[in-house]
Amino acid sequence: MNDSSRTRRDFLVKGAQMAGAAASVGFIWHALVKSEARASAGALRPPGALAERDFAAQCIKCGQCVRACPYGTLSLASVAGPAATGTPHFEPRTVPCYMCPDLPCTRACPSGALDPALDDVNRARMGLAVIDEEHCLSWQGLRCEVCYRVCPLRGKAIVINTESRKTSRHAVFEPMVDSEHCTGCGLCEKSCPTELAAIRVLRPEFVQGRIGAHYRMQDKASRSGQAADAPAAAPSPRIAAPKPQAAPGVDYLNQAAPP
Amino acid sequence: MTSLTRRAFMKSGIAAATAATVGITVSQEALAQAKAAEAGWSWDKGVCRFCGTGCGIQIATKGGQIVAVKGDPDAPVNRGLNCIKGYFNGRILYGQDRLTRPLMRMKDGAFDKRGDFVPVSWDRAMDEMERQAKRALAQKGPTGIAMIPSGQSLIQEGYTASKLMKAGFRSNNIDPNARLCMASAVAAFYQTFGVDEPANNYDDIELADAMILWGANMAEAHPVLWSRITDRRLTARTTKIVNITTFANLSSDIADLEIVMKPNADLAIQNYVAREIIARNAVNREFVDRHCVFATGPADIGYGMRPTDKFAFPAEKDVQGQELVHVLDKHEAVGQRKEPGTRVEQKNRTSAGKHWLISFDDFKKAVEPYTLDFVAELAKGDPDEPLDKFKAKLVELVDIYVDPKRNVMSFWTMGFNQHIRGVWVNEQCYATHLLLGKHARPGNGAFSLTGQPSACGTAREVGTFSHRLPADMLVDNAAHRKTTEEMWKLPPNTLNPKIGSDIMAILRDLEDGGVKFLWIQTTNPFQSTPNANHWLKAAREMDSFIVVAEAYPTVTAKVADLILPAAMIFEKWGGYGNAERRTQLWRQQVDPPGEARSDVWMMLEFAKRFRLKDVWGEKAVAGVKADGYPDGKLPDVLAEAQKLGYTPETTLYEALFATADNRKVAWPDPVAKGHGNSTVKALKEGWFVEKALFEEYRRFTVAKQHDLAAFDVYYRDDVRGLRWPVVDGKETKWRFVEGHDPFVKKGEGFNFYGPLLKALPTGNLDDVTDPKPTSLAGKAKIFFRPYAAPVEQTDANFDLWLCTGRILEHWHTGSMTRRVPELHRTAPTAVMYMHADDAAKRGLKRNDVAWIESRRGKVKVVVETKGRNRMPKGSVFVAFFDEAVFINKLVIDASDPISREPDYKKSAVKVYKA
Repeated sequence: MNDSSRTRRDFLVKGAQMAGAAASVGFIWHALVKSEARASAGALRPPGALAERDFAAQCIKCGQCVRACPYGTLSLASVAGPAATGTPHFEPRTVPCYMCPDLPCTRACPSGALDPALDDVNRARMGLAVIDEEHCLSWQGLRCEVCYRVCPLRGKAIVINTESRKTSRHAVFEPMVDSEHCTGCGLCEKSCPTELAAIRVLRPEFVQGRIGAHYRMQDKASRSGQAADAPAAAPSPRIAAPKPQAAPGVDYLNQAAPP
Repeated sequence: MTSLTRRAFMKSGIAAATAATVGITVSQEALAQAKAAEAGWSWDKGVCRFCGTGCGIQIATKGGQIVAVKGDPDAPVNRGLNCIKGYFNGRILYGQDRLTRPLMRMKDGAFDKRGDFVPVSWDRAMDEMERQAKRALAQKGPTGIAMIPSGQSLIQEGYTASKLMKAGFRSNNIDPNARLCMASAVAAFYQTFGVDEPANNYDDIELADAMILWGANMAEAHPVLWSRITDRRLTARTTKIVNITTFANLSSDIADLEIVMKPNADLAIQNYVAREIIARNAVNREFVDRHCVFATGPADIGYGMRPTDKFAFPAEKDVQGQELVHVLDKHEAVGQRKEPGTRVEQKNRTSAGKHWLISFDDFKKAVEPYTLDFVAELAKGDPDEPLDKFKAKLVELVDIYVDPKRNVMSFWTMGFNQHIRGVWVNEQCYATHLLLGKHARPGNGAFSLTGQPSACGTAREVGTFSHRLPADMLVDNAAHRKTTEEMWKLPPNTLNPKIGSDIMAILRDLEDGGVKFLWIQTTNPFQSTPNANHWLKAAREMDSFIVVAEAYPTVTAKVADLILPAAMIFEKWGGYGNAERRTQLWRQQVDPPGEARSDVWMMLEFAKRFRLKDVWGEKAVAGVKADGYPDGKLPDVLAEAQKLGYTPETTLYEALFATADNRKVAWPDPVAKGHGNSTVKALKEGWFVEKALFEEYRRFTVAKQHDLAAFDVYYRDDVRGLRWPVVDGKETKWRFVEGHDPFVKKGEGFNFYGPLLKALPTGNLDDVTDPKPTSLAGKAKIFFRPYAAPVEQTDANFDLWLCTGRILEHWHTGSMTRRVPELHRTAPTAVMYMHADDAAKRGLKRNDVAWIESRRGKVKVVVETKGRNRMPKGSVFVAFFDEAVFINKLVIDASDPISREPDYKKSAVKVYKA
């Protein structure tokens, strides 16, 4: 770690804190620390960050994680930044997270806003990569797939699905993101060669839907061990329940038969 | 393999992919907007600047700038697609540090080898070039001058360079960077078929039921061809893809069978395949009896290194010593039917290519030792793979080859060619296909892919090699010289009959003072050649003058004495020829920037400065021995020249280029359709240089089974290149086979009509027994070639194999692609792919910086244990595009002694924490 990069990171930390302090003229620092999260979809947090509301509550904006990052990935948000002022975030198109196996940023966090229990960087969920298929060169048939090749979890977080192009004798190599493995490190967004990246990392809550709890997808179910050949449910218990005097719908049901 | 498994991946699109689907209604407004944005654009066809695939592109220009490119939907190779390099074709011209003025090393107003680069005028630059070239001629004769062109030189550039060097300066010291990539393929084509270049073509991909890659990572090196192979695999489900390699790579992703082998084990595996073909009674007797003969050659051929240790670094001396005497290891001994430990004097170092006929029984006897047990034990490349599993894979490989219901294509590139026995492995692959009768038929063939866009079209077909003349003719063949002299209107015995220095020899000549004047075009050999520390030092310390014509500052430009700013691809008229014999020509699209000029213009202007009396008098050339030549000399041909209408004062420009015929080809020409011509404009002579030279060159090809179409034909709107031979306006898809090749007569079935090396003595597996030559007209040769071990082996000190090569994102040494910021961002630096356990053993983890060191040098590199290549324990891979990770200087400069092509795929290195 050389001096200049140390200086740069100190600047990033102090600069943001100073900006925060300057912006809070008339407030006390405590108020700034307590300022609520007005985070937008773009603000990506360091690995191990708690869910946004908890993170905002616990982060003391000390900048230790920014100092610890060997790549200059993290910075503290300035007043006009995409995250609550003074909180750490990164912009993958500028500098992505290089997924250090020893998690120096997480380890440096004194407040628990970055979960000290995270011990494997591959389990970090900083964001989720999403692909704009309309402007993705690979989806349009070009042999690009840069995102796939730079992905640190290549073959897991980003996979290639090959399909016949049908309009010629060529195959299309479609990159696809698997949310089960994508950490949101952003190397794909950083490396995407289109003018504006056709693959972006967003926080999962802004991207992912959720199917109803009453339904289980076949393959998801089999993945979670609830295979189709699971043992049959136990027979329903025979309970002699008293017949209700009144019950919803009974009025209607006991009316005369429809004409 | 994983990517073929269809799982329910989350397709998390920002927008649904609706516009991509067919049938969407695009609003009239949107169409009008798109049209308005393209107002004033003019589109014209071109060819991708990068690999040997030869994708067609369309180029849009406006106001003298290239504003856009797109894949050409009518191009049969790529049907409108490109790879990520091709996507940036238009941008490579516009790097910020484009060279636009001649730069010369100067001190106190004069050239000085120790001076700094200073901008000078073209006149000043040419004055110095003339002075230095004349000094070299005076000191060393014709061989004191050398030139290194390129497999990326345009057809006309290669032709000009070859004629200037061979007819003008009478020096055969011209050799392209294609020596570094295709020379082994060429020599194998000559020896096997008597003529260069593939019988098959890309259409075979859609006709094959199995495609076998030997040392070719096509997923990265031939990206668009790979999408055709993948499509075939997807749409014809029984198709099998086999990837035979020294490490798992992206081509493994769709492979049905991946065979990870040890370096050089391809020699043994192929002999096992041949043995099994015979054992399983799968030889196509009818085909073999009618169209093939069996042959072999000596095994004691050395390793293409210097025969002396005078120039070796101390650490290099042990390996260099094997150049003269090699001790057989246990596998070589079995494979060559000798005792382990035998000391073999390398007697055939300078006659490595000689070969003779043997019988089928000899062939059978020769492959007999290559049993499954022997080969599997020798070849298994992944120490973690169980031997039985590996054996099963070898058996499956044979199953695929011999299956009578399968059409089989074999493809290879640098794994075969950059190989100390590269010619042998090429020949073995032909042997497999010939034994099975699966060659030169639709869907069946052994296909040598090329790396560079015009390795075929320029380097090979024009003949910019030290041993070649146009259209497969050779400098050491009296009849070929005579034909060439007549075509070029030269006095008899003008051409130098002695094969010149190949590219590695030219660099060694720089080191030992043999070459005094070197002109390099369209290539960056000081970054790309192996063991470059030798030549880097020589370039700056020896008394020589190095001219580099370049578009950007490269390592090579940095060690030059004079840098000439060169026009790039679409800034001039030109043509390329791809791997399937497809010749494609384009118009100039934009003018070169500043004072940059085309290489053709540079050479023509240079030619104006030499008169016949300077070059066609008697010249000493050591080693010349040929009829009509005094020993060690080229004769004075000035008197004969007078009979042809020349005077001693005639310039080389007038005698070789601005001939009466060529001057008749006038500029402007209707074919230009308003496009400019920077060469003609700068030359100010009014003749259409590129057309005249192409038509002159074309005369060599007509009726020589190399037939090219007329210049104008390639510019027709309905033509997207044509595969030669083009006879009666029709291209040829499959050569040597009746019904497709116009030179094969009815009833012949096949005719391997290549004329070279078609009269051979007869012998046994060890030597010639009957020197009387037998004619083999029309036949192909099935060679036996034994296993040979890599000359440099891993040991306790240098304990890892290093392989170097390309990645998809960057072209060669990165001089163009690294200047496109978007491409640079995709792969900013070369990394070292390594097995995680190998890294851990050395205290390294992913993203750490490590030293990688060989006997020849060391560099720092970032460790990558997870990336696109999955290395077996014991091997590392580093790409060579990155100037800051100058990896090829670590590579041994051992070469195939027949082809003189270096082996970049197996150097011994060690890796330790930086």
